[in-house]
Amino acid sequence: MIERALLFTLFLIGFYGIVGKKHIIKKIFGLNILNNAAVILFILEGSRIGTDAPIMDGQASAIVDPVPQALMLTAIVIGVCITALSLALAVHLYRVSGSFDIDTIRMRIQDEA
Amino acid sequence: MRLEDLVYATIMLPLFGAAIALMGKLVHRNRAFAKTLEYIGAGIGLVLPWVGLTMLAPVVFSGGIVSGIVGNWYEGVGIAFRFDGLAWLIQILGYTIGLVAYIYSLGGGPRGPAFTTIFLIQTAALAATIITTDLFNLFVCLEVMGITSYVLIPTSKKPGASLAAFSYLMVSASAMVFFLIGTYGLYRLTGALSYEGIAEGLRTIGGRERLVSNMALTLLVSAVAIRVAVMPLYGWLPDAHALAPHAVSAVLSGVLIKTPLFALSRILGLFSNGPDVGHLMSIAGGITALVAVVIALSQQDAKRLLAYHSISQIGYVVAAWGMALQLGIDTALGISLMAAAYLHALFHAIFKGLLFLSVGTTIDITGERNVYALRNAVKIMRKAGERIPVTFITFLIGALAISALPPLNGFVSKNAITYAMKDSMLYHLLIAAGAGTVASFIKLSRIYLPGVPKLPMQRTPEGRRFKRVRLPSRWIAQITLALLCIAGGLWTPRLVSLVGRLIQPSFQGTLIIPALYSGENLLKTLWTALAGVLIYLVIQHPIPANLLHAIRTRPRNFKGLFVSFSLGTAGLAIWLLI
Repeated sequence: MIERALLFTLFLIGFYGIVGKKHIIKKIFGLNILNNAAVILFILEGSRIGTDAPIMDGQASAIVDPVPQALMLTAIVIGVCITALSLALAVHLYRVSGSFDIDTIRMRIQDEA
Repeated sequence: MRLEDLVYATIMLPLFGAAIALMGKLVHRNRAFAKTLEYIGAGIGLVLPWVGLTMLAPVVFSGGIVSGIVGNWYEGVGIAFRFDGLAWLIQILGYTIGLVAYIYSLGGGPRGPAFTTIFLIQTAALAATIITTDLFNLFVCLEVMGITSYVLIPTSKKPGASLAAFSYLMVSASAMVFFLIGTYGLYRLTGALSYEGIAEGLRTIGGRERLVSNMALTLLVSAVAIRVAVMPLYGWLPDAHALAPHAVSAVLSGVLIKTPLFALSRILGLFSNGPDVGHLMSIAGGITALVAVVIALSQQDAKRLLAYHSISQIGYVVAAWGMALQLGIDTALGISLMAAAYLHALFHAIFKGLLFLSVGTTIDITGERNVYALRNAVKIMRKAGERIPVTFITFLIGALAISALPPLNGFVSKNAITYAMKDSMLYHLLIAAGAGTVASFIKLSRIYLPGVPKLPMQRTPEGRRFKRVRLPSRWIAQITLALLCIAGGLWTPRLVSLVGRLIQPSFQGTLIIPALYSGENLLKTLWTALAGVLIYLVIQHPIPANLLHAIRTRPRNFKGLFVSFSLGTAGLAIWLLI
């Protein structure tokens, strides 16, 4: 139970980071934490489906379900892509507006347009 | 050739084309060779799939379904796919708009191997989204679609576009985490990721597990609803669509917001309370149609006005789509509504693509986006080298089509929706939205007509009023879409039943075909148009004009996107629990 509570806290921290923080790099951190909370959920809860390590040497009846872990590899890769792209956008926003604060960026960009 | 291979080809060809186009970057010193590679890639990715779709047409028209597991893996391990009438229809939509928008981009930009590559990957993701019947694969397809659009939006080089892409990325990527958690919930319950396996698993659950499945459904639906931009989750769309390059705007508005919606209908079919979700979405769609049109009326940026209309029109589609799911896609009315929803999605893609491209050409030539500052655009464009006012004519066709005037395609699909909804509350919302649409397109048309602008017009640094642009490829794209608008209008009575049969081949009864040219319907169209003119005249008065100004300058911020997402998700959860 304690793991689930911690996981939920992690999720909330991530969500707070995205919504509550004004600094866009911190928002990206928040997104990463949020994403990782989902990854850990899959790994942790997925490891409870079955008991043995998923090594195929005859006995395959009680092995841990490998599917959730396999899925998470893809999810992590997608997470990395999103992080890289959002950082690139953040750098570009900093170049055009001179700020990392989301409200200041919006104000300065609107002044230009 | 096996049918499965043809289905794979519709996804793999754009990816293969993307790889070839990307090679153009390797040989960038030899520009002619790089260009050749890029065009070969685009040809493979956007033209060749048509061959596959043509060869698959007889299969889907005879009610056949191509399904299986990718790469012949075991069931439960591999990715299941299903190519049926719906998938064929959505791919036709995607490849039509994709090809035309790409032709436009050759003249209107952005250009280059990188753009072509990303554009082709996006097309492949669109084609895959509608074919997949595996929940996790749907997640991947949606993410690829999203990532490519976060890259394509800022290619317009406008600072605002980067901010729009960043906001869209943050809200959409967070929503996809919710989607992932929803996927986990369903996997834990049913032990399957394929739609079939999930449906089978869901049949045997009860009690507390029912609660978990409802929560999972809520997370999935709200994550997809962000992509569809139905109220209240629309906040990211106006900036993103208005500031993207014109060709990308056409694809985003035309295809990208609709494909997830139709993919979602496959998921909702698995749940016993899918119809309830459809009911809520149809109400949200009706409200979206009306509210977005009011906001559109208040806009002064020409492309942002069009972007709000995209939200409004997707409201029409969602209203019909939701109601079809609520009634069940095996009743005559349900199928008719679903066919109408698809037709409106297709026709909206055509006329809104046309409007984005025509207005885009006008903006590029005149250098002015403000609806109140630009007047006499036809004359300015003639000076810039457009002897025949092609852009004005194509704009006019698009504007008449979106205003649902006969005999264009918008007239047919909007009437197909409202005709099937006659006895519902939503009918009145949609009719009111129709009048608002007419009013705001009268407002937008004024940029082409002579008149005295309310605001001073911008001039280029050299003091001229226009910039010369490459017209031929823009013309080809605009004229093609304009012809499709007219063709769609002329053929449609047959199209409704054709689409209905593709969506539900086993249905034997008669579908509800709208009586388009009956006296009653024409009178209704006339009244709607007159109401639109009246609304336009009323908003010229200072009091409503000030009200619209207040709507336009309402505070919008990043936090609002997440607040509305949370509220939308909570609302859906409460709706399902009660």
